[in-house]
Amino acid sequence: MTVLALKMPDRRRLMALSIPFAAVVGSMAIGLLLIAISGKSVPDAIEAFIDGAFGTAFAVGASINRAVALALIGLGFILAARANLTNVGGEGQIAVGGIAATAFALWQPVADLPLGLAVIVPLLAGTLAGAVWGGIAGVMKVRFGTNEVISTLLLGFVALLMVYWCVQSTALLRQPQTSSSTLPESLPIPDATKLPGLTGDPESPLHIGLVLCLLLALATAVVLQRSTFGLRLRAIGLNELAARRAGMPGSLLLVVALGIAGGFGGLTGAIMLQGEQFYLKAGFSSGYGFDGLVVGLLSRGSTLGVLAGALFFGFLRSGGISMEIMAGVPAALTLVIQGLIVIAVAGSVILVEKLEAEQR
Amino acid sequence: MQFGGKTWLPPSPAEALEQGIAMVHQHFSLVPRMTVVENLMLGQARGVLNRAAFAARISDIADRFGFVLDPNAVVGELSVGERQRAEIVKCLMRDPQLLVLDEPTAVLPPSEIGALLDICRRVADSGRAVILVTHKLAEIAKVADKVAVLRTGRLVAQADMATADMGALVQAMVGREVKPLDVALDDSEDSAVAPPNQPGFALVCDGLTVLDRHGATRLDNFTLEVRPGEIVGLAGVEGNGQSELGMVLAGLLAPTEGRYFIGDVELTHAGAAAVTAAGGGIVPEDRHAVACVTAMSVAENMYLNKLDRFTRFGLLQRRALNEAALVQMKEFDVRAAGPDVAFSGLSGGNQQKAVLGRELTLDPLVALVAAQPTRGLDVSAVEAVYRQIRAAARRGVGVLLISSELDELIAVADRIAVLYRGRLVGERPAEMNERGAIGALMSGQGAI
Repeated sequence: MTVLALKMPDRRRLMALSIPFAAVVGSMAIGLLLIAISGKSVPDAIEAFIDGAFGTAFAVGASINRAVALALIGLGFILAARANLTNVGGEGQIAVGGIAATAFALWQPVADLPLGLAVIVPLLAGTLAGAVWGGIAGVMKVRFGTNEVISTLLLGFVALLMVYWCVQSTALLRQPQTSSSTLPESLPIPDATKLPGLTGDPESPLHIGLVLCLLLALATAVVLQRSTFGLRLRAIGLNELAARRAGMPGSLLLVVALGIAGGFGGLTGAIMLQGEQFYLKAGFSSGYGFDGLVVGLLSRGSTLGVLAGALFFGFLRSGGISMEIMAGVPAALTLVIQGLIVIAVAGSVILVEKLEAEQR
Repeated sequence: MQFGGKTWLPPSPAEALEQGIAMVHQHFSLVPRMTVVENLMLGQARGVLNRAAFAARISDIADRFGFVLDPNAVVGELSVGERQRAEIVKCLMRDPQLLVLDEPTAVLPPSEIGALLDICRRVADSGRAVILVTHKLAEIAKVADKVAVLRTGRLVAQADMATADMGALVQAMVGREVKPLDVALDDSEDSAVAPPNQPGFALVCDGLTVLDRHGATRLDNFTLEVRPGEIVGLAGVEGNGQSELGMVLAGLLAPTEGRYFIGDVELTHAGAAAVTAAGGGIVPEDRHAVACVTAMSVAENMYLNKLDRFTRFGLLQRRALNEAALVQMKEFDVRAAGPDVAFSGLSGGNQQKAVLGRELTLDPLVALVAAQPTRGLDVSAVEAVYRQIRAAARRGVGVLLISSELDELIAVADRIAVLYRGRLVGERPAEMNERGAIGALMSGQGAI
């Protein structure tokens, strides 16, 4: 019920924390073993990982930016999960959010807007696009009974191809083709539409997406635990028929829940674009939707759990990229190690739940 | 148990089949997208499939027992009666000594019942034994040689059909035992009070008809009026349309035809929220599926339909909610450790009292529909439920009490209507000496 394990007795709290910790350490050890087997230097790999994850101020900022993207997807996921909906379409919702944000940011009147609106309008456009994308899956569910796991996933593939289409066609978002070497990418967005930095330091990649993310996390926690809307989502998720009997607008709640989850995804896409990438290219969502889904799944529905998980995976991703570049560890191997850690954490979460149930 | 002259207890269904006992269940086990032959080959064909030979065997059996069945028809496109025939053929292919049919006529339209009974007769004439499990006495009277009456797991009567007294059989079926329940029932200090004669209607059902997705009629032109302050009992063996009627009145199922009003408000297609707003209190027959969310708290469940009252700026005022729930728990004698414990931790009786409390405190409250409200409850909870229902009626609420317990209806209701095969087949005063007449209506006599 409550956020994470705050109300548990100390011994159990210790157990709830130590088991996942041990699992992560264990799977990292296996990872190092795999690196050794692959013939790379283990100390080099460790050094590269630390460097890339939190070795420099830049690395920390980049890791946190990654965590912001993962956390937003995770927050949307647990909101929909409260209504017993599984949104696996984060990747596609990021993609449509990115497309909409790019389109609006590249539209000159928007870039000329005063009072920070040049930043806000593309963010809202991205959010709205994601919400529509999630809402479509919701409407399909209540109208035709389509399972949302399937519809959100497949709509995700559609969205990824739409990004590809947008950056391939000059009629859409592709930059003007001046030579045969012009890449299939959009123009970079104007400076006015980029997210402001969080620190004064122009070298730091950290942007106000972090603040936005924390505010939304707080809002999500309030909605889930204190609001009547959150209670209604829960009622629908636990017993749809009883919720309908109690006069709740069941179909509407389901569509709204998936719409909000999609909106979080769309916002993520806009933040990724306006905060770091600055132009749209194929594959720009690069797996954040799926990693965010894992974060949401592992959080057991807790907002703090989402934030913790997102930070962890954000640093892991940065370190992994650095290992790949600096220590020559094959990309596939870093994915294997990440996968191992996911399995270990997921397994330990289930184990902790089981042990808690036994003690009750 | 003895079978074929030997003492025998089948250890498994497969063993029973092996020994020649075949059963047609109420719910068919056929794959809708496969043909009749393919369905019947499942579990019987070995090695190479020989469709033609199988089809020939099916036609042969169908001919022998005098019914029509196309072996190559896709099961999903067959009528319920045809599917049932396919099930019967499936059983007969194993050449059983004993054929058991569980409520075979419950799913059939009246026009197909006669044909089914003929098949039973032919199977019996071919030297096999047939057991027909049904609550419809009239059907048994047509076809059976012997009749036995089972009530609450006990054999209470046995007779040869030729000499049996139908009245006695009905009495045996509906029974009259001294149960702890009677304490609650006999304590009805006010059941004899005449209903206040108030103008208008609390609840009006006008020609409600429900077809299920197979097109079978579950509720057939159901018309009933309940006046304010009146308790109308709706008797009937379960599965005769009560569930569908309950869902329609709760606003969860749109009737295929007909209209439905609470007070002056038409609610036919209005949905559950409108039923509540119009003053329709609903105690559904399936408490766990429809009335409550067991994983949520007692307070949340008691105000599930009134959460707006405790909402300010979108936030739920938990303290106010719990305080209100505490008062209501006291009023309706809901015993729980507190308003914020999980609803699942309450006994069935306390859960039902909580649901009843929620529905009775609607403002306004015009009509109460309570379906099987005392099922599975202990004696004191049963008594509390009756007391609350009577008190509501005295306040001028019109009550429709749907129950399969005749004793309960006689004790609580002012008049009793009887539902059989989705239709109202009669109405009697709620008096002890009407038991036989009501029981006869419930078992379909004079109505088949």
